[in-house]
Amino acid sequence: MAPKKDVKAPAAVKKAEPAKAAAAPAPAPEPAPAPAAPAAVDLTAVKIEFAADVIDDYRESFGLFDRVGDSKVAYIQIADIMRALGQNPTNKEVAKMLGNPTPEDMTSKRVEFEGFLPMMQTVVNNPNKAVYEDYVEGLRVFDKEGNGTVMGAELRIVLSTLGEKMTEIEIDALMTGQEDENGCVNYEAFVKHIMSV
Amino acid sequence: MGCGVSKSNQFHKNAGKAIKSAVLIQRWYRQFVARKEMRRRYTWHIFQSIEYSGEQAQIKLYNFLGYLMDNFTPASNERNLISHIFRDNEVCRDAEWERYFCYKNIEVPDLYSGPHLTFPLTVEQAVGLVEAFRNKKQLHSRYVLQLLLETWKQLRLLPNINRISTCHSKEITICGDLHGQLEDLLLIFYKNDMPSLEKPYLFNGDFVDRGKDSIEILIILFSFLLVYPSEVYLNRGNHEDHIVNLRYGFTKEVLSKYRLHGKRILKLLQKIFSWLPLATVIDQKVLVIHGGISNTTDLSVLARVDRHNYNSALRPPKKRHQREAEESIDSDEEAGSTNKVLQRRPSLTSPRTLTRNCFQNRSLQDFSDRLKANTVEEVEVHEGLPGPFGPENDTSQSCESISSEDEWKQILDLLWSDPMAQDGCVPNEVRGGGCYWGPDVTEDFLNRHNLQLIIRSHECKQEGYEFCHNRKVLTLFSASNYYDVGSNRGAYVKLGPDLVPYLVQYQASSMIRELSVRQSAGRSERSANKVLREQLFAHKSDLICAFKKLDSENKGRVSLANWASAVESVMHLGLPWRIMRSQLVTGRSADSSIDNSIDYYEWFNELAIKGANADHIDQSLLETLYRHRSTLETIFRIVDTDNSGFITMEDFRQTWKLLSVYLKMEITEDAISDLAVTIDSNQDGSIDIEEFMEAFRLTDKKSRLERGRSMFMGTATDLTKLEGDPHI
Repeated sequence: MAPKKDVKAPAAVKKAEPAKAAAAPAPAPEPAPAPAAPAAVDLTAVKIEFAADVIDDYRESFGLFDRVGDSKVAYIQIADIMRALGQNPTNKEVAKMLGNPTPEDMTSKRVEFEGFLPMMQTVVNNPNKAVYEDYVEGLRVFDKEGNGTVMGAELRIVLSTLGEKMTEIEIDALMTGQEDENGCVNYEAFVKHIMSV
Repeated sequence: MGCGVSKSNQFHKNAGKAIKSAVLIQRWYRQFVARKEMRRRYTWHIFQSIEYSGEQAQIKLYNFLGYLMDNFTPASNERNLISHIFRDNEVCRDAEWERYFCYKNIEVPDLYSGPHLTFPLTVEQAVGLVEAFRNKKQLHSRYVLQLLLETWKQLRLLPNINRISTCHSKEITICGDLHGQLEDLLLIFYKNDMPSLEKPYLFNGDFVDRGKDSIEILIILFSFLLVYPSEVYLNRGNHEDHIVNLRYGFTKEVLSKYRLHGKRILKLLQKIFSWLPLATVIDQKVLVIHGGISNTTDLSVLARVDRHNYNSALRPPKKRHQREAEESIDSDEEAGSTNKVLQRRPSLTSPRTLTRNCFQNRSLQDFSDRLKANTVEEVEVHEGLPGPFGPENDTSQSCESISSEDEWKQILDLLWSDPMAQDGCVPNEVRGGGCYWGPDVTEDFLNRHNLQLIIRSHECKQEGYEFCHNRKVLTLFSASNYYDVGSNRGAYVKLGPDLVPYLVQYQASSMIRELSVRQSAGRSERSANKVLREQLFAHKSDLICAFKKLDSENKGRVSLANWASAVESVMHLGLPWRIMRSQLVTGRSADSSIDNSIDYYEWFNELAIKGANADHIDQSLLETLYRHRSTLETIFRIVDTDNSGFITMEDFRQTWKLLSVYLKMEITEDAISDLAVTIDSNQDGSIDIEEFMEAFRLTDKKSRLERGRSMFMGTATDLTKLEGDPHI
């Protein structure tokens, strides 16, 4: 591997990106009542409160996602980098922070680490931490018989049509090994599984 | 989607809740994927850094040995040990080669249960070979030699650059690196059918090394080449090179599968590799080469070179009249006599002081510059000696008198280069050969040669392929699970008259599909981490030294930031150490990091390679052995001139002397004796190389990365059993 600071950055294959390009910029209107045209976040006003060590950690991870070697990452990677660093923003939140860019902007515009930090701070300041009970509650909605299971098929449909839609491939990967022979998912076990990874 | 819509209507009352929970799960999933992707990336970095630094190490070793060749006296022991790898196999007369290939004396015993071949080869026989190998049979050496002879005859007829066309609506299938992974080749044939008149194939180099069935792959490819000479094409890769093979496992594989005739087979293969075409052009529009290009690549020059003069792409060629003055292939045993030609200064009687810089050249271009000076002197020396062709100018040079250095660079670039994202063209110092070339170079090259696409291989890609440079360059890699089970898919490409690449991916292991999301993530990572931890341990002394420098108060602890920078300064792997610390710093040394500082002595206790049965051996020597095990083994293989797997005590000592010079380390006679005693358990004065490597736990059957170890390799006792086996 050539050192990043050097001229060349050998490309690791990006597998996630093309899939994301299809799935992620879902600025498609949701059936849910979503706030219309959210105001852009003012990043210049954000005060960075991270410890020096933490900033170094972030900087290293940021570098890992730079595939071009210009010490920057594309807009479309920002959400993923934040997730890789333990945060959990929705795509919509990230889009809002970037000033609601067009799909073209998402792939062509790039941001350097100093520009990324205030975004990260904003997200850290508004955590979306969900706990076990939240997930279980969420899935209980689909438990028609109240017996602790949901139909795998229903879950798949919901995940692909509502919220920040997932692709079939993503859903397949998620559901591998979770459905029993009747196609049912025990959702408490499911949540325990996803939270343990 | 009618069903779906009505179902979601059912939840009309709970619409808000449903959406919220969907978003919850989706968000969780995306976070999981992002974290997994990051871990996958640095796992990949680990494998790739170690792979490339191995290649670099091999080139450095080769440079070092070359330097020794130039500076040791002809009769010196050290020189004799290694001179044979530098001697060219020259084709003097066809009759000599026919005699060398002579398979007629080799009898095939009745007990042999493998395939029998008759020549000229038929389709049925080629297909039969594929089946036989699928059933784990081995082809008898007599047939191997015969096959190689026919292949050599065929390859000699081919030009440096194959030119083919997809006329008659024929699609051509192009495959990338196979690296001895027979399972992948079988999978390709299964999905895409075997080569035939309707199904032309092009194999883009790196057929051998690392995987365990390199020779079987060669046999299959050569057989189809003979049966369908107009439909099957082969390009040379950087691993079709005997110097590289010494380190990466092909040499070992052949010698262990063919105890009696392996050496001869290898020698012939050296020749055959040098006769492999360098490139292929399809419909005058698509260039297919193994590595890549540089800003000086010129197809018209490449079309004219004498490609077979380049046995190894790593070595600049000698001038033609020097070569012909050397003796023919027969007198391998007369080690010293021929090398007068290489002697720079007749009065030199002892090796000069070697500085590390001399042979630690980062790229072969540097080496060649130094060598240019040498070759001039060599010519002058030669001028005084009577040779069969006299000292006049080489008449075989083209009228433009392209220097042999330039020719060499053309070939080196073609076989070793990698693309980069930035414009320009810089030496490829990571691998040690070829260069990195940018999109501007691609653009310029394609325009100059009136081409539209470059297809190349040489780099492992997670999806088996990757486009770059505005989709003008396609990297194609056909060895799936290359770094580890689940690390990557393989791919092949089909090209029809429209010249639009159609890609097919695959992965040769049914295990993969059944692994859940969680399991497949962990596996490669654990494997990579293990390899990395071993490397770290092997550099213990240097690391402790670096830590001490940053630990001014001698507390035995360093901050996280210092730890990361110290580690990088020693390892030079360009890895994200901070991110990986949770995998690398474990156990007690992790617990005690209250303020994010690391107790480094404790850390090394955690890393220690358990169970080495070498307590009486000096620790730093052991560390050296471990760090340079690949180099050590390579040197052993070189020194083992009759390829028996054994070297004498004396040669063993000489090897250590070589190594100590190379590494600039003191290794005392006593230390060497200690090592020898541990190994030469039957005290007969010879050392079994395999046993040596095993004894110090220098080999790990699970780690394919450094050695390309063949699964056929048995323990010492197995090998002695095979020794008398007439069936092979």
